[in-house]
Amino acid sequence: MTRRALLAAAAGTAGAAVTAGAVRRFGAPAIAAAKPGQLNIGVVSGGEILGLKAIAPMWDKETGVRLNLIEYPYASLYEKMTTAFQANASTFDIVMLDDPWMPKFGSEGWLAPLDAAPFNLQRDPDIFPVVYDLGSWPPPSGPVPPGEGGKARHIYAITLVGNVEIFMYRRDLVSQTPQTWDQVLADAKRLGNASKQFYGFTMRGAKGNPVISEWSPILRAYGGTIFDDHWNVVLKSPETLSALKFFTGPLKAVSEPGADVTDAADRSRLMATGHAALGETWPAEASDSVENPKVSSVIGKVAYTVVPAGPPGKHTPLMGNWLLGIPKAAKEKDWAYRFITWATSAKVQRPYAAAGGIPFRQSILTDASLNKRYPFFKAMADSLAAPPFWRPRTPEWSAVETILGTHVNAALAGTETSEAAVDKASSEITQHMKEAGYIK
Amino acid sequence: MTSRGAGVPASHRAGAAITPFGRSTGPYLLLAPPILFLLTVVVYPLFYAASLSLQYYRLGGFAGLHNYTLAFQDSLLGDSLRATLVYVGFAMAIECVLGLALAVAVQRTIHSAAGRTLVYLLFVVPMVTPPVAAGVIFRLMYIPQYGILNVLFHDLGYRGSPILWMSSPRMAMFSVVSVDVWQWVPFVFLVLFAGLQAVPADVIEAAQVDGAGGRVRFLAIEIPYLKPLLLLVLVFRFTDTLRVFDHVQVLTMGGPGAATEFLSLYLYKIAFKFSNLNYASALAIYVVIVVSIVFSFTSRYLTEETA
Repeated sequence: MTRRALLAAAAGTAGAAVTAGAVRRFGAPAIAAAKPGQLNIGVVSGGEILGLKAIAPMWDKETGVRLNLIEYPYASLYEKMTTAFQANASTFDIVMLDDPWMPKFGSEGWLAPLDAAPFNLQRDPDIFPVVYDLGSWPPPSGPVPPGEGGKARHIYAITLVGNVEIFMYRRDLVSQTPQTWDQVLADAKRLGNASKQFYGFTMRGAKGNPVISEWSPILRAYGGTIFDDHWNVVLKSPETLSALKFFTGPLKAVSEPGADVTDAADRSRLMATGHAALGETWPAEASDSVENPKVSSVIGKVAYTVVPAGPPGKHTPLMGNWLLGIPKAAKEKDWAYRFITWATSAKVQRPYAAAGGIPFRQSILTDASLNKRYPFFKAMADSLAAPPFWRPRTPEWSAVETILGTHVNAALAGTETSEAAVDKASSEITQHMKEAGYIK
Repeated sequence: MTSRGAGVPASHRAGAAITPFGRSTGPYLLLAPPILFLLTVVVYPLFYAASLSLQYYRLGGFAGLHNYTLAFQDSLLGDSLRATLVYVGFAMAIECVLGLALAVAVQRTIHSAAGRTLVYLLFVVPMVTPPVAAGVIFRLMYIPQYGILNVLFHDLGYRGSPILWMSSPRMAMFSVVSVDVWQWVPFVFLVLFAGLQAVPADVIEAAQVDGAGGRVRFLAIEIPYLKPLLLLVLVFRFTDTLRVFDHVQVLTMGGPGAATEFLSLYLYKIAFKFSNLNYASALAIYVVIVVSIVFSFTSRYLTEETA
């Protein structure tokens, strides 16, 4: 045996020993895989990876495999991932994807199924069922894109960032937790004082995704929806019109001026600086701004609850999870799966949450000590149990959201009536879905 | 004594590579890089866009001129074109008038080299500001709740409801045009100021001796000299304002509704939000045709003028 061959054999034996240790530690499937130098994970840059950055050194230390976080801005991440997948390139071992991307990734078959061999992921009772549903393809409920219905359903991704829209209010000013939108309106009217630049409600109404994220829970709370189970556009309904009239009429009247150009950062700033009493929010906003002692003047004064119910009495929070998946072309699938099960385990979710990450496990979200530091965790748990609704599972969602976001914004700004906005949005979405081959 | 071959073109010397057409390969080798570059970044993308424009969205297959005719039925495209024309018209007119006025004012009032250098430096700042950053700066000025403009008005005694700078179609148009004006008046100024330096001093002096005042000097001497440059500025600003994107996206996102959804934003929406690259390619080909026509007319005129 040559010296080089001897060294290679020794290295192989050592690698196998470490791998076996790692397998025992994380309870991963019994797959023998050589230990890689690093795992490449494509992630979005920003607050969503705060927790991931905190646990990365723990992973490095425990396994000796470096976690290489490749950060991209939101739009670039999608572009980079789709380009890599189309070329069947092994650029990423793991990808972090926004849940509206799931339909595209699922229908294209770009991800490896996690609940099939060799991984055989088992459902954990500590994880809300909706989390597994969100990462499944084809979707277990609601309309299914043409040609996808016949496919076998699998779980392709698991949530890491358990974003779900919640409701915040000044508990020093509002004595009773607002349960309905009518209560919100009453409280906002009572508390708002525009001359003192204090607004009853803070509304994120900027064109496109912002206004749709804000209005969708109200639309659903009023019983409205965009599609039926066959992708027919059913937006033109009394429920939709009531939801839009409430949003652009009484709710806008108690909101800050220029709600139609307000985005998430403006909304958080108004709340954190004590200029607003009530409003919807995402956990990351609450964590970064409202509950951040460095920028907030309302620490300890804000409480969180599930997004209020509409006339039918149902709470309808919107989901916006970030998930982890393994590309089919990944080189280190085995280690990628080990990382995913490790990062989403109850043991690791605790330091992940403590460092500012948005968790998703029931046991973490209801933990009393964590709720002291992050008072919105309990509201998140209640919202995930509600259960929340997800955006329609179609790769066309981006177009639908853009069309609807344009007209709802126009109605909010007063350049279109609510009736005209619903009419135009409905006909444009119908036209688009026809062009995309969903309806005839 | 001269060496053999001296005075003979290199291509005819013994040993020089000759093409089948009897010429040296040298010129072709020299031309190859720019031609390759043009083929890669202009011709190939253009043909690729053209081929995409002839296919159906999602379903694929040859669509003929479907995407081109679709443009004539697209009322949203019509709205976008109208908004674009308003934007281009206002931005170009204000920039040219202000830029020209500033150039003449500086030329007649600031004569020291140091003073003029300071003016150049100040005017270069907006031009080198990235459009996205300009959009962010103006958004922080215009945001109704805490924007510096509304705060300033309040401090000056204005007690009415906050001015909504980006919420009505007219105000939103004003807001996005103002960023363009702030950023590109300096360009017009610098070009026209350089043009004013080129007006022969003896002609000006002769006119002054003949009793020509400032207004006559400007209209009868300086403007004719500046005409080709003015046209050049107009062409540059036209093509640039036609593809405005960044600061509008930051400031209004094309809103309220679609009031400031200019052609480039509309194209972006179709291509990247709707993922309809086929229709977006057809629209892009239309834009290329219109801009080429405008450019060919103006370049012909410019050639005649400079000749």
